[in-house]
Amino acid sequence: MSEKIKELLGEEAEVLLAEKRYEVISRILPKVLKGKKPLTRSDLLDKAFLNKYLGIPVFLALWWALFRFTFDVSAPLSDLIDMVFGRLGEIASMSIQNEQLASFVADGLIGGLGSVLVFIPPIFFLFFGLAILEDSGYLARAAFVVDRVMYKLGLHGKSFIPMLLGFGCNIPGIMATRTIDKEEDRILTILVNPLMSCSARLPVYVFIGGAVLGGYAAAGVYSMYILGIVLAVLMALLFRRIIPYFKGKPSAFILELPMYAMPTLRSTLAHMWERGVLFLKKAGTIILLATVVIWALSAYPWGAVHSGDEPLIEASYVGFLGHAIEPIFRPLGFDWRATVALFFGFVAKEIVVDTFGVLGLGGAEELQQVFNPVTGLAFMAFTLIYIPCLATIGVIYRETNSWKWTVFTVVYGVVLAYFVAFLIVGIGGMLGY
Amino acid sequence: MQKKLSELKTGEKAIIIQVQGSGALRRRLLDMGLVRGTEIEMVRKSPLGDPLEFLVKGYNLSLRKMECENVYVEVKQ
Repeated sequence: MSEKIKELLGEEAEVLLAEKRYEVISRILPKVLKGKKPLTRSDLLDKAFLNKYLGIPVFLALWWALFRFTFDVSAPLSDLIDMVFGRLGEIASMSIQNEQLASFVADGLIGGLGSVLVFIPPIFFLFFGLAILEDSGYLARAAFVVDRVMYKLGLHGKSFIPMLLGFGCNIPGIMATRTIDKEEDRILTILVNPLMSCSARLPVYVFIGGAVLGGYAAAGVYSMYILGIVLAVLMALLFRRIIPYFKGKPSAFILELPMYAMPTLRSTLAHMWERGVLFLKKAGTIILLATVVIWALSAYPWGAVHSGDEPLIEASYVGFLGHAIEPIFRPLGFDWRATVALFFGFVAKEIVVDTFGVLGLGGAEELQQVFNPVTGLAFMAFTLIYIPCLATIGVIYRETNSWKWTVFTVVYGVVLAYFVAFLIVGIGGMLGY
Repeated sequence: MQKKLSELKTGEKAIIIQVQGSGALRRRLLDMGLVRGTEIEMVRKSPLGDPLEFLVKGYNLSLRKMECENVYVEVKQ
């Protein structure tokens, strides 16, 4: 059929169709549209925003503004939510007579709900800011400015914003991948996003690095950010190579640069609401469920854990688990307490610090008994790379709509974390630690 | 003078002669209005040199150089 058309008409059908369509359009257009396209305000803005020398500084400045807006404006609200739920938990545990029920309601349910809700302010502010950039027409231009770099890394121009947002929190970062059209490019961006060192990991670096790295603490913390970026680039290139699904080049860059427009409050709010509520519905339920499971593992067997004044984590299933999998982490120099801390870090990475406190390793001196500078650095790297936090996993599932990719992210994270930590310990060993 | 679209200089105007390339990419280019006889102007390069921005049919379109390799044009004097 298509051969026949080509033979008869001398061109392929799709070319002819497109030409005819535009022929009709260009016949109608002069009747309804008069005059030449004037030099608009939009063109003038582009002369500055896409200027050879100004383009990149403008790009970086706008991103920085969005980043600060998202995380600075929302921080007090998140703190407030954290505080309210902490209070609610205290009230619940005091007013419920049954000890087990009180613990379930206070630590499991209310704690779980709180850990979902603290993400609402940054997510809603991020979507608000992104909607403004999108509706104003700048988002397409940002992709235009940065596409070259991202293309070289096996990603798409539109992958840039998600990666940068990941430094604040991987959740909005992963949710921002929605602007990427081609599914392969989008999923690849999601897979490497957790390697961007989010703000929840910083307290762990500061805590461990401050205790065991001495004068190199700041350099150690800084190196984690660099390590994350390097690994993200390497993984993106590697996945492109070895996973058949990602084979080939990033998709074509055929993008209209729309006229700049003043975003309306109404449409910006609508965008924000629509996307934010989706997060709550899908990711929220998963996070809540998993928090309850982890609560149960750390609170039972009840009698053993709650025999003294303070809960004894070592006697819980989590403590048992820590001891059981400790041998696996021996080569990295992590003891059972470090293992338990990593287990809890799975809920949210900042919990690693709290867990060390609960296990009696809250101070620098105690930490130095567990870690030397090399194993401390290995632990920091492990914290950076292994399993993204629960909320992030929830969002990865929600955004990829696939257990396969969700499980893959978790597994490759753990394997890579182990590998890198092992490498650090190995190299440190050769250098005499 | 005939050229590839990727070879146009900033500010240069041309008429599209032919769009080549594989199925999906070609269809996409045609859909965006890059059909025979259309006037196209190279507006600017991205600050890093690639992609390129064109003015075609009154709107601004951005394409990577690689995608422009498939489009042949006749430069207007």
